[in-house]
Amino acid sequence: MSAALLEIEDLTKSFGGVYAVRNCTFSVPEGQVIGLIGPNGAGKSTVVDLVSGFGRPDSGSIRFAGEPLVGKRPDVISRLGLIRTFQTPREWRNLTVMDNVLLARRRFADESFWLSLTRARRIRREEEAERAIVRSILERFQLAELKNEFAVRLSGGQKRLLEFARIAAAEARLIILDEPMGGVNPVLGARIGEAVRQFAVEGKTVIVVEHNLPFIERTCHQVVVMDLGEVIAQGPFSGLRGNPRVVDAYLGMDQSHG
Amino acid sequence: MYWVSVFTEAGIFAILALGLDVIWGWGGDFDLAFYGYLALGSYLTFVLTIGRPTPPVQYILGWHLPVLAAIVVAMVVVVGLAAVIGAIALRNLRDIYFAVTTLGAVSALYLIVENYTPLFDGYNGVYGLINPGQSALNLTYNGYRIVFLVIVLALLFLAYLLVQRLSRSPFGRMLRAVREDERAAAAYGRKVFWAKYRAYLFGAALAGLTGGLFAIFISAFNPSAWTPQELLVIYAAILVGGRGNPRGVILGVFVVYIGFIELTRFLPSPASRPDFGPAMRQILIGLMIILMLRFRPEGLFRERPGLDRAPRSARRRLSGSIGALATASAGSTDATPTSAPAATAAPPAPPAPAGSAADEGGPG
Repeated sequence: MSAALLEIEDLTKSFGGVYAVRNCTFSVPEGQVIGLIGPNGAGKSTVVDLVSGFGRPDSGSIRFAGEPLVGKRPDVISRLGLIRTFQTPREWRNLTVMDNVLLARRRFADESFWLSLTRARRIRREEEAERAIVRSILERFQLAELKNEFAVRLSGGQKRLLEFARIAAAEARLIILDEPMGGVNPVLGARIGEAVRQFAVEGKTVIVVEHNLPFIERTCHQVVVMDLGEVIAQGPFSGLRGNPRVVDAYLGMDQSHG
Repeated sequence: MYWVSVFTEAGIFAILALGLDVIWGWGGDFDLAFYGYLALGSYLTFVLTIGRPTPPVQYILGWHLPVLAAIVVAMVVVVGLAAVIGAIALRNLRDIYFAVTTLGAVSALYLIVENYTPLFDGYNGVYGLINPGQSALNLTYNGYRIVFLVIVLALLFLAYLLVQRLSRSPFGRMLRAVREDERAAAAYGRKVFWAKYRAYLFGAALAGLTGGLFAIFISAFNPSAWTPQELLVIYAAILVGGRGNPRGVILGVFVVYIGFIELTRFLPSPASRPDFGPAMRQILIGLMIILMLRFRPEGLFRERPGLDRAPRSARRRLSGSIGALATASAGSTDATPTSAPAATAAPPAPPAPAGSAADEGGPG
């Protein structure tokens, strides 16, 4: 078994006395695609928020490549190589598709106030190489023709693709996708599945929070099942069908969805 | 000479509007303290240049600095004040909470300046900076005013170049991303507070500069010169011209100041109601803001992103593939390798057929 890239231990978070996450422990091996499933309110999105710095746990620890994450700001965690998405695509609406993906390239040094004033020409020249990479990413997600369009004008499906284009551009080590299949038609869903598998091929580690079980089954190496804030099972998807707790909490009622 | 004065004032306010546009237009922060920065810059320019006060007039410092040095010092102090207010207001407060906090800050400043007379002589204000350098330059009064207009317009042009350069830079792009969606910006590694803070300080520096120019322009400054309504006019100008677009903002200032204020000068002003004209002007400006927001919220000039031009090779490919498009039926670009170094950005695959699956996404 490969070394764990993300280790979550005894994570607990409550909101006003109600536990959203309770003694949650699991780890994510590097290079794998992990599905994080569970019924609504199981605490999946809270875990994502806690890991990415958008919330602070009451107790417990999170380690990313050995580095403790608790207490770090979201932007700091992101710069360590962890990129997350949100349940709805959060594109930068009044920026172009091109700018959206260019920003995901995260060339922070170029964004210095002084360099932007004093080295404008050099930065623009160097950016041309970045633009070329972004153009090829846009081709891959069928957004090339829309590169100069404001992101707000894209359709819902195109916004999903833009989200994936941004992730591909970010070159993160760990990618956390929060319900990437929400409101997505089957054709687009197939593209998204393909993109996730492609990330794995590139050696990236992916966590997918998702309700769509066939999608999880097709794309994930392992599944972590949560219910009422706790991890109730972890392992390959095929092994979960026989687990009565999992069936009880989730599979039994949701299997008809597809 | 009347028009020289009108254009000078509009030029000064255009610089101010450029500064505010960086904060509000790009950064998205509705700053109500902004006019206070102009006021502080103006007061400081006075007390640094006009020399000791003669009782009963009183104010701090009373130095005899050259006016240029005074403006620089004023800018530094203004940025210092903005650093304090911004550090408090920008950290966690957004939208209306940010606006109220900055309004509170400027109100406090206003009350202190108005009531604590040893500072800037309270309600009487400071005065006496009359055409600094006129004799040194050997100019007539009118000649000086024209030269001053030229200087203001030159500074406006410089400020425009500076802001335009920032606007197109990665810094400008990053700031706009923070404005559009802070959480997403943080998720992609941006330091949200630091981004907004730098923009805020830059805007405040321009406000400090305009304060200095304003001091030379009106040669007297007291609390009635910086009532909250003044800021409303600047916001109106940015809205009319095009929030986020430096060219639009300058146009907006000239439209609002010269077009609007000059036209409303001809409003009747009955002797029994001398404040009818100014009041009417405020109402009309409010009306104009509402109409703009209703019918053209992006302003005369829309915020324009830098467009990406296809490299030559790709353009050739595009024109070549127009004919191929007719025959290509269900070509797919899926096979494009993902981490291709993409030196040419032109993979051999044909462009995606129009109306592909991507267009049919769900409501998301």
